[in-house]
Amino acid sequence: MKKDEINIKSALQGLVIDLLFWSYLWGCLYYLAHNWLGLILNYKYLIMLAMFSSGLFYLTGDSIGRKYFFPSHLTSRKWFKTLWGWLIIFSLLITFVVGWDIVEINPYKFFTKFKNAGGITSGIFDPSIIGYELQTESLEKLAEQNLPEEIIEELKKISGRKYTTRKVFSRELEKRLDPAAYDKYKQPILKSAIKNTEMLNKALTTLAETIFLALLATVLAIPLAFILSFFAARNLMPKTFLGNTIYVLIRTVATIFRSIEAIVWAIIFSVWVGIGPFAGMLALMIHSVAALTKLYSEQIENIDSGPVEAVRATGASTLQIWIFAVIPQIISPYLAFTIYRWDINVRMATIVGFVGGGGIGLLLLQQQQLLRWHNVGLIIWLIAAVVWSMDMISAKVRAKLSEM
Amino acid sequence: MNSLLNINDLHKIYDSGTHALRGINLDVKEGEFLILLGLSGSGKSTLLRCINRLIEPTSGEIIFQKRNIVKTSGKALRTIRRQIGMIFQQFNLIKNLSALTNVLTGKLGYVNLVHSLGMTKIKEDVITAEKNLDRVGLLEFKSQKTRNLSGGQQQRVAIARALMQNPRLILADEPVASLDPATADSVMKYLGELNKNDNITVICSLHFLSLARKYGTRVVALKDGQIVFDGSPREIDERKFKDIYGEEAEEVEIR
Repeated sequence: MKKDEINIKSALQGLVIDLLFWSYLWGCLYYLAHNWLGLILNYKYLIMLAMFSSGLFYLTGDSIGRKYFFPSHLTSRKWFKTLWGWLIIFSLLITFVVGWDIVEINPYKFFTKFKNAGGITSGIFDPSIIGYELQTESLEKLAEQNLPEEIIEELKKISGRKYTTRKVFSRELEKRLDPAAYDKYKQPILKSAIKNTEMLNKALTTLAETIFLALLATVLAIPLAFILSFFAARNLMPKTFLGNTIYVLIRTVATIFRSIEAIVWAIIFSVWVGIGPFAGMLALMIHSVAALTKLYSEQIENIDSGPVEAVRATGASTLQIWIFAVIPQIISPYLAFTIYRWDINVRMATIVGFVGGGGIGLLLLQQQQLLRWHNVGLIIWLIAAVVWSMDMISAKVRAKLSEM
Repeated sequence: MNSLLNINDLHKIYDSGTHALRGINLDVKEGEFLILLGLSGSGKSTLLRCINRLIEPTSGEIIFQKRNIVKTSGKALRTIRRQIGMIFQQFNLIKNLSALTNVLTGKLGYVNLVHSLGMTKIKEDVITAEKNLDRVGLLEFKSQKTRNLSGGQQQRVAIARALMQNPRLILADEPVASLDPATADSVMKYLGELNKNDNITVICSLHFLSLARKYGTRVVALKDGQIVFDGSPREIDERKFKDIYGEEAEEVEIR
């Protein structure tokens, strides 16, 4: 066994770990005691408790911090025969319990409240492809067909109201007419109703908006990421101070921009340029530039250095080396990544629409807030169809590219 | 014979601290077919790469046509590099480009960026490239992607690429080490031909003494970054061979 160096820094770090561990443990216990038993304790005492127990344990052989920094303190005993082993198990368990409580996990609700999802479920199974509506001319037509006066009067009340599907319309009729009349006149009423595909048209238009938004975000991101990736590739940047600075700068900025989700960018840009597809496009573009720069530059770092060496040996200039030895090696993975990115962007574009990025996401949000579940159902189907086909196409194209 | 390349007290110490070359002195005459022998790690590759500055020497000088390569940079260095062709063990072709385009890259040192972008369309360049491909017997494969060619064919494309440079000197870094014996000999034959017919000086590192005897006019052996033998291939007997490769080594014949 290696003999540890005794130094103040490790000893202090060990103590800090112990302190954090015990603070966490007491914190969790207090959370449960407070929530379940109504116990109220001043935080002062909690901190004192944590300090006291961590100090006590630090002196014993069961200190976790000491074990981490001085591995030779680890005894050959099995973990389940030691106090610290059980302490760790206990802390994991209590984490799970506290987590369960914080997340308000409630399996009972999950199984008993299913009927709340009735609206959205019926919407999904009955998407509003064709809308129904009674107008003056339909009522006139029905009058010509000698429908009883009181039925026409009743129907006049709902004239001009839009119904999202045939089923929704017939349910309304069922509610307003007595059963005999409903059975008798259902067919002619349905026939006389004006049918429209307003929702479908709108959904398709906004869907196109979303696809084009994603496409433009990707297309505009490509040249930027392409150029940046060369400067973010370790093997291409000269090992000078300047080269290193550029590399680190681009890599860092790309990492930061990538770690900010597109949805956050969309919020920023919807304030900046106003709600709409342009904001969504900017959000996706900036995220794509960051993501593609990373993927592209990693691809450059993985290229075979042999051809680069060979082309350099012919007396080619740096730019010629990039064009003839680097680009041919990266072009097909670049294309694959780009198509994959478009695929991701189409999916993200929907989400981005929710926070003001325009497109079908915005429409979905509106319809959901109006509780038009049949319209929501239609939108969900359309999104699913597009995502599914994008997924398939991109997988196919990428498979082809990898053969090249 | 005139001296083509003169290396004086060349040292290379890598960042890792490895002292790969320890004072190499070498005078290469025009028209020589010089074989470099030595174990892996003896400094052969480093020496070859120092000559065209793919690796920066730590100290010493390399005189090529009255100019010290070590001191040049930028355009001047590229002007020297374009006169020195290089062949690699792994062929180092751009695998998803055609054989013809690969050969054309040999011309890059001579042309500007705009010219190089249109090279595959410029008639006289294409004709020269085809001629060079024909010399290595691969004209019919000109539009094939090089990844679809066999190892021997790829190395011949690499030779055609070097020829495209119109080189005075060819550096070959274990050009046949990844090839089977029969193919190895045919590749060496092409190098030998260039040496004899075009009077291109060749410096070639090898592991096979039989090939060294067949094609070399001079053998230089390296051990631990120093020259331990310099003479005619016929002078290498069993004793000298063991000096170079260690007591355990047995000569492997390839014909």
